[in-house]
Amino acid sequence: MRGLGVVLASQARRDRWVLSYWVGGIALLGIGVASAITTQFADDGERASIIAIATANPAFLFLRGLPDGLSVGAVAFFQGFTFTAVLAGLMSTFLVVRHSRADEEAGRAELLGATPIARSTMLAATIALGVLANLALGVVLALAYIAGGLPAEGSVVAALAVGSVGIVFVAVAAVVAQAMPSGRGANGVAAALVVGAYLLRGIGDALGTPSDDLLRVTPSALSWFSPIGWGQATRPYSEPTLLPMLLSLGAFVALAGLALVLRSRRDLGSSLVPVRAGRPAARSGGRSALGLAWRLQRATVLGWTAGVVVLGGIAGGLGPVVAQAVAENDTLAALIARLVPGSTGDTADVFIAALLGIGGVLGAAAGVQAVLRLRAEEVEGRAELLLATPLSRARWMLATVIVASASVLIVGLALGLATGGVLARSSGEPADVLRYAGAALAHSPAALVFVSVTALAFAVTPRITIALGWGLLVIGLVLGQFGELLQLPEWVQAASPFFHSSAVPVVEFDGVAGAIMIAIAVFGVAAAAVALRRRDLTA
Amino acid sequence: MLGGVPATTLIETRALTKRFGRSTALDGLDLHVAEGEVHGFLGPNGAGKSTTIRVLLGLMRPTSGTASVFGLDPWAEAAQIHRDIAYVPGDVSLWPGLTGGEAIDLLASLRGGADAARRAELIEQFEFDPRKKARTYSKGNRQKVALIAAFARPARLYILDEPSSGLDPVMESVFRQQIERVRGEGATVLLSSHVLSEVEQLCDRVTIIREGRVVESGSLAQLRHLSRTSFRVAGIGDLAALAALTGVHAVTRVGDSVEFEVDADAIPAVLTAVAGQGATAVSAAPASLESLFLRHYSGPR
Repeated sequence: MRGLGVVLASQARRDRWVLSYWVGGIALLGIGVASAITTQFADDGERASIIAIATANPAFLFLRGLPDGLSVGAVAFFQGFTFTAVLAGLMSTFLVVRHSRADEEAGRAELLGATPIARSTMLAATIALGVLANLALGVVLALAYIAGGLPAEGSVVAALAVGSVGIVFVAVAAVVAQAMPSGRGANGVAAALVVGAYLLRGIGDALGTPSDDLLRVTPSALSWFSPIGWGQATRPYSEPTLLPMLLSLGAFVALAGLALVLRSRRDLGSSLVPVRAGRPAARSGGRSALGLAWRLQRATVLGWTAGVVVLGGIAGGLGPVVAQAVAENDTLAALIARLVPGSTGDTADVFIAALLGIGGVLGAAAGVQAVLRLRAEEVEGRAELLLATPLSRARWMLATVIVASASVLIVGLALGLATGGVLARSSGEPADVLRYAGAALAHSPAALVFVSVTALAFAVTPRITIALGWGLLVIGLVLGQFGELLQLPEWVQAASPFFHSSAVPVVEFDGVAGAIMIAIAVFGVAAAAVALRRRDLTA
Repeated sequence: MLGGVPATTLIETRALTKRFGRSTALDGLDLHVAEGEVHGFLGPNGAGKSTTIRVLLGLMRPTSGTASVFGLDPWAEAAQIHRDIAYVPGDVSLWPGLTGGEAIDLLASLRGGADAARRAELIEQFEFDPRKKARTYSKGNRQKVALIAAFARPARLYILDEPSSGLDPVMESVFRQQIERVRGEGATVLLSSHVLSEVEQLCDRVTIIREGRVVESGSLAQLRHLSRTSFRVAGIGDLAALAALTGVHAVTRVGDSVEFEVDADAIPAVLTAVAGQGATAVSAAPASLESLFLRHYSGPR
């Protein structure tokens, strides 16, 4: 294909830092998990105990994946794979959308498209870049696992499994970019599909069948509908096989081919989801800064809300199933009682509390995304248009922070209501609805801290707002999910606001911690409002 | 600088300087705009016009020097001065998901609300379809959104940064009518533009800047006076004598005629000399604005 190399090189050059951070960050997590398991769980008995707990508790199966034996490698793979695969998927979807739909929207694609290259060349180069990035990720990750002390053969298969998930999502995002009219919309849909793949295999794994010795779990058929499930099925550290990767490869070829055909047949700038005509005049709500902030965030909140309603349905629907499975299995119940002394907590509640915690992170993501839009408004020149009216900078920012905070609460409430609603149907206790709505909102104060910190970053260090906003959230998420396992000092773990959230209903809500976090959030926003007055608008 | 500073000064900058790291965008800029005038603000690309405008709007803070708009400091009182300003940026960026009509209403409402009749009239005159999503608009149509929002509500000061870029000639004349209308209502306009005919038709005074400094400021008549008149004379044999006269420039022979440029204050002397040398035909033309600008834009620094 004429010009493919040139376009590929230019895209790779544009991405050299972003991709380095992604690959380096994922490898760092890999080496951390691998060495944590090899050093802390060197003893067979200790590994047996965590695997037994996991096998007995579908909450772990849902969140982490399938136990696959007692070897060090198998335990590390069980602990880290699904999460790593999600990161590889997100790296891939953001990469593809950045070079396809987002470039098309910004007009850069038109400039390149006027050169003597085929219509689909740019997309082909992007797909190639995505494949190369995932291969690089595979190589670096294999080295990371080996460096972390895991066996070489299994490490190569495990790293390939991560890369294969990424490659599938390269093709998925390439199709999504043809369908959606905006870069933002394409990113949202593609990222939702990555999370959907995680949830799908989560349900499949949670409904799986434990082996008699409780050392491994065979997933239910549902997991076979998820690319992350295919990666997991390679079983790198027990009975490694590359066969499931044929599914990944097949999906990649089919979807990438579809995307290229769609691209070569459609007009520049057109999309399968059409752009419709709208109102000739603004409604009364669309005539203020607050109205604008809500209008810009509306679709995002709807997307996150739909996501957490699904998550809540899973939590509420699976919770009782989980509890029943454990209760019916005397061996399991005895095992849990023995392994986790004092773990009187209802098994269902442990599961639900874990999912609500993830919901807190999703709420924070919705809020952070709203605040980050301020930076896009500034860079793309729309802030200049707004701030040349009598609207003050502080009010402009506050309108967005209010909408961001509302997003956090809406997403949290939706999750709680969905969870409680499904549970109330099975338990017959309407009070469950409110109980779990409150439990979900217990994570909101921590999420609001992220909203506030992102606003402060925007006011003080505008050029790195987006990296800081998402970066801090990812660090908070990793500390929450892996801080315990990596045996990080408590003060490091405590740096994440999520550390101070109460896992209601397993523990009581800590009102003092919640109030302190809200106070910090308010203070941060006030500081941001002052700092924003003191700087130039910058591109 | 030519022309005294008029009594009611609406915009005033003194020794305005703005640096970005090592580069200097504004280097001691002195700008005066009087109430009620349409003031052309000219200069080559990168001269600092947009930076000046951003300082005047309080979007950027000067490194040194002062700026005042309506007698207020734009950085400290940004929201206050914006009550009386309508602004059209050079490169209008809109919210992709909002329709043009919604964007117009948002911007006009933040300034206090559009005059409904005027809004409808402007939409018709600019032949604008307000129902389309902004992501589908061309550059000219995005420009129209900002223009309609600016003119749909009266302002005391209009700051327009290359407002007609992307407009077709018919739309440009609609734009000129609007400028004439607000001028008639007593408003002040700061108009940055590269369209010389537009500047010539609309502006009472102009300021030309280059590399962050004012190189010329005054009425067009004054600027013309400063510039040279072109002569074409037939029947002169001695080119060297002509070229030796003070105030004569760029002497060239074209067929049996001679063409040259003359400084305004040297015209009487040159006319006498030309008559003395036996000229048979003389034609003279005032300097075109174009040659004036070209001299300021690209001449030696």
